[in-house]
Amino acid sequence: MTPNRISLAVAAAAVLAFLALPFVGLALSTDWSTLGFTTGDAGAIRISLTCTAISLAIIIALGTPLAYWLAHSSFRGKAVVEMLVLLPLLTPPLAMGILLATLYGPYSYIGRALEAVGIILTNSPAAFVLAQVYGASPYYVVTARAAFEGVNPELEEIARTLGKSRVATFRLVTLPLAALGLAAGVGVAWVRALGEFGIVLVVAYFPQGIPVKLWVNLQDIGIGAVYPLLWLFFLIAMPLPLVLGTVSRRRVRVT
Amino acid sequence: MRIDYELSAPVRLSISMDAAGFTVLLGLSGTGKTSLLRAIAGLISARGTPYDGVPPDLRRVGYLPQGYALFPHLRAWENVAFALHGARHARRERADELLDLVGLRDAGERYPDQLSGGQQQRVAIARALAREPELLLLDEPTSALDTVTREEVLDELTGLIRRLKIPTLAVTHDWHVAAIADSLAVLSGGRIVQQDSPARVFAEPATGAVARLVGFRNLFPARIEGHEGGSVFVALAGARLCVRAPRRADYGAPIGIGIRSDEIVVQPDTDGASDENSLMGTVQGVRDEGLAQRVAFKSAVPLDILIPRSVASGRSLRAGEVVRVTLPAGRLHLFDWRD
Repeated sequence: MTPNRISLAVAAAAVLAFLALPFVGLALSTDWSTLGFTTGDAGAIRISLTCTAISLAIIIALGTPLAYWLAHSSFRGKAVVEMLVLLPLLTPPLAMGILLATLYGPYSYIGRALEAVGIILTNSPAAFVLAQVYGASPYYVVTARAAFEGVNPELEEIARTLGKSRVATFRLVTLPLAALGLAAGVGVAWVRALGEFGIVLVVAYFPQGIPVKLWVNLQDIGIGAVYPLLWLFFLIAMPLPLVLGTVSRRRVRVT
Repeated sequence: MRIDYELSAPVRLSISMDAAGFTVLLGLSGTGKTSLLRAIAGLISARGTPYDGVPPDLRRVGYLPQGYALFPHLRAWENVAFALHGARHARRERADELLDLVGLRDAGERYPDQLSGGQQQRVAIARALAREPELLLLDEPTSALDTVTREEVLDELTGLIRRLKIPTLAVTHDWHVAAIADSLAVLSGGRIVQQDSPARVFAEPATGAVARLVGFRNLFPARIEGHEGGSVFVALAGARLCVRAPRRADYGAPIGIGIRSDEIVVQPDTDGASDENSLMGTVQGVRDEGLAQRVAFKSAVPLDILIPRSVASGRSLRAGEVVRVTLPAGRLHLFDWRD
């Protein structure tokens, strides 16, 4: 190895160590013999899992057509639309929570109208999902859009000349070729939704999901009490994006 | 098949031509050849017959873009089977038949990136054939091939097209492709300026633009001085040239005159300067072009001369040398000078 390569390797190793250090610290700090959950932890896990699953389904269902449209159309004012997509991403979560509380809260027109038909968007599972969708959907839309833009439009055109409708072309060509990028988007959205704290704190303190429960445990009992739930949080949040990320880099053929 | 198309964007085109057998549309890069194919395939909006207003998936055309656009996520046979319907094994069987037809039976399991350029082209043709097209559209069929395999691939391609008897329209700027066509149309200024057999187009280009496209490098405006029998006399920058061309002999009419670089004869001596179609001049520069020599020659008009090895053997021209060249009367061509 040349000196240059050695110094590069050392620098890379240092950054990797820096990134991994908090996790090592957690592993060393955890008292593995007395690891146990506190009251309500199980409920928080259940809430987080079900609500995140619902949010993810909504994000994919609404975000995919939007991402495809952004990737495939050009029109005057497209930049404005792009900014609209980025707006929730660029708004600090706590501020976003306040905006949502203003818009959908019990004293707003929309809040009251929805309440009349039985939908309460404050401190309810619906509010929890709403907060997650606002927090996570921009990440999915941005990633999915890039994935769709990565598909050579000529391939979609060829599919049309080979007798396929637009829908069939999307299913047979666009989707398989964008699949890895879309999967990465799903992975990122999953982590963002599951970990959403700032918006949730304002509009859906209850029902308590894992992030808010971690915060409550930290405040009420102390740092030792959060380790079990924290470990479980990582266990739930990380496998999906890690696997999707690794797979997408391994697959070379579809580029 | 008659093709009439009007395009306004991205380029303005008004095309009217016939596609029979292997028809080549020759035109410079950027003159709208690809747009015409895309319009016929229904991928950009245009008016014209056939297929006016029909969506692309209902047009029975086989379109091969430059680079062929094989689906990278599908194996060769799956690419071919893309347009087929029915059970998987039936589609596989038909795809294998088509791959066999293009001489690639054993390549079915491979992915496009495991195939050579020529093989990719054949898979793309098999894929287009699965659609049972009435018309094949080929965009620059030789552009993705290296020069070594180009001739071979081109021969196979035209052989296949003639066997299948599907009218084919190939667009190109490469006059080597144009030379082997059944019919050659030339695109210039947004319309077809000439369509005929390649031999006729190459021998009698209708305009200077056509002449340039089929490889003429020596093109000059000239004036007709008179005619006698089968010969026309033309004034070119002070010289008087005799052209064997029975037509177009209006006295005083402006006309274009041209000769191919390799049909100018460099004479071994400087005697006979007054011989028919002789020009004296100076060699400005000599450049080796493979086995041939390309000579920049300054006489009454500047000439580009290509001397093949068979002719040049033993004699090498040098810059500054004064030589006599002749422009054989049977090799000079006249055409409209409007462009």
